[in-house]
Amino acid sequence: MDRSQRPRKSRRRTRRLLLAALALLVLAAAAWAIMWRPAIDPQKQVPAFDQATIERGRRVAAVGTCAACHTVDPSRPYAGGRALDTPFGTVYSTNITPDARTGIGSWSEAAFTRALREGVSRDGHLLYPAFPYDHYTRLAQDDIGAMYAWFMTRPALDAPARDNRMTFPFGFRPLVAFWNILYLKREPWRPDPQRSAEWNRGYYLSEALAHCTACHTPRTRLGGTDFSRHLDGGEAEGWYVPALNVHSPSPLPWTREHLAEYLRTGIAPDHAVAGGPMQATVENLRLADPRDVDAIATYIHGYLAQAPARATRASQPGSLPVPQEGDADLARMRAGHAVYVNACARCHEVGREASSGAALPLQKAVALYDPDPRSLVHIVRDGIAPPDGEPARWMPAFGAILDDGQTAALAAYLRRYGAGQPHWADIDNKVRKARQP
Amino acid sequence: MTTYHLRVNGREHAVDTDPDTPLLYVLRNDLGLNGAKFGCGLGQCGACTVTLAGGSVMSCLVPVSVVGARPVGTVEGLGSAQAPGTLQQAFIAEQAAQCGYCIAGMLMRAQNLLAANPKPTDAEIRKHMMPNLCRCGTHMRILRAVRRAADAMGGKGGKA
Repeated sequence: MDRSQRPRKSRRRTRRLLLAALALLVLAAAAWAIMWRPAIDPQKQVPAFDQATIERGRRVAAVGTCAACHTVDPSRPYAGGRALDTPFGTVYSTNITPDARTGIGSWSEAAFTRALREGVSRDGHLLYPAFPYDHYTRLAQDDIGAMYAWFMTRPALDAPARDNRMTFPFGFRPLVAFWNILYLKREPWRPDPQRSAEWNRGYYLSEALAHCTACHTPRTRLGGTDFSRHLDGGEAEGWYVPALNVHSPSPLPWTREHLAEYLRTGIAPDHAVAGGPMQATVENLRLADPRDVDAIATYIHGYLAQAPARATRASQPGSLPVPQEGDADLARMRAGHAVYVNACARCHEVGREASSGAALPLQKAVALYDPDPRSLVHIVRDGIAPPDGEPARWMPAFGAILDDGQTAALAAYLRRYGAGQPHWADIDNKVRKARQP
Repeated sequence: MTTYHLRVNGREHAVDTDPDTPLLYVLRNDLGLNGAKFGCGLGQCGACTVTLAGGSVMSCLVPVSVVGARPVGTVEGLGSAQAPGTLQQAFIAEQAAQCGYCIAGMLMRAQNLLAANPKPTDAEIRKHMMPNLCRCGTHMRILRAVRRAADAMGGKGGKA
């Protein structure tokens, strides 16, 4: 090696190191600028509101289904504490009552608005997108103001936030800033001039306020809504959430009226009874302005109606058949059929409606047509209690009655001989997982 | 007709019956265990509640053919009129029974709670007992009785 080149080389290396350090510094400064958000000064006193605004806020919050996550104990509304399992850890909903210490009593309307539009807490920390600010960001300001009036006039409850349990590295909240760059589109809502006023109302309510797409649209690996697959079905709390577009699993076409009835009461004749996470949604929507719920039904039905008519067993009367002799999985099908006949048919068999409170004939049950058995298994395990105040009979829980094997056999049988659909892959595993407490 | 071997309150029984016969009918008609009651027959009232492998089930909904080797527990296993168990004593102390028709089911659902969760909160008791109905309206006394039993067991669970 030539000796004379050495100092030049080391000088070059020093320059490179300096440049790298500078680049790092610039990057760090940029990252800090992206991640850091200022605090908004606490307000000393909760402002006063007129009754009409508060009442409007009640209706807006009902469509926003705020209570579905922020109320755990009905005697302590909006005190938070509900665990939401996400692929990134468990997030607990927070207290949104006007308690100054543990709630949002010190939040001005500006701070409340920033939280809804940008996902930033009053003190400047970033909120996790389990809180659907990527939808609320498009809300009209007067709806935000009305909700603010509603929450600020609720009883203040002392309920400190529970610590989230996030997997590494998601416990570091500033990372959410990068999620926001990808998924928080801060555009105001724009009506579609080609559509009716009712459709546009439903569009606004469904996408911005009720955030239907948050569960009914699949998420990317990073947990963002995948808008290239709008309403294509997703998941929530271990349930499959049905697609509401051309891929709707529903074996019978929905009418707009049935959809509106379902959203108001949780019960749709010939289709389904709301279970799982949808039950909390219905319990909120039934307190909303019925015209708003109708508008949501109009908007969603526009997509649902795109699903082609399918030849299914759903329109065939009669009880479910015995397994065929040549069935490749005959032993399991027979075991499932036995559970169906001896346990389910008592209420669900066609012709028994009079004594059974019109339980759905199972060939019509949407859960049988889902791409996986999770929702069916949850319904069998936990049953379905009608929403508070609805006089319907309830489906009792069979979780302690049937074991994993019996549940899997039943699911396999119902899929094949109830829905007439191709078998669910990996059914034993999926059933076992869905049956875990 | 098939022969089913059932383990009820720790004793083995062989029963000849049809596969769709509800466990409730087997308990009452074949085994003479009349504690569990027939209320609605549709899993809506809870009068027939027994335990199956430790979980509460409405026995009118349980076809005998799904029971298999899993142990069944009925109110007769909690104690007798002469020697009532802790849970039964608590129900007597709170005078939780009016007509009494729902009480065997209430006891078995409560038993299942205390076995799994020996120190339940009042809210947990309410939530757990929710599926069982009492037409006389003694729910408040029933809740107090479960509370009393939990306290009497001192957090040691439901082995009455």
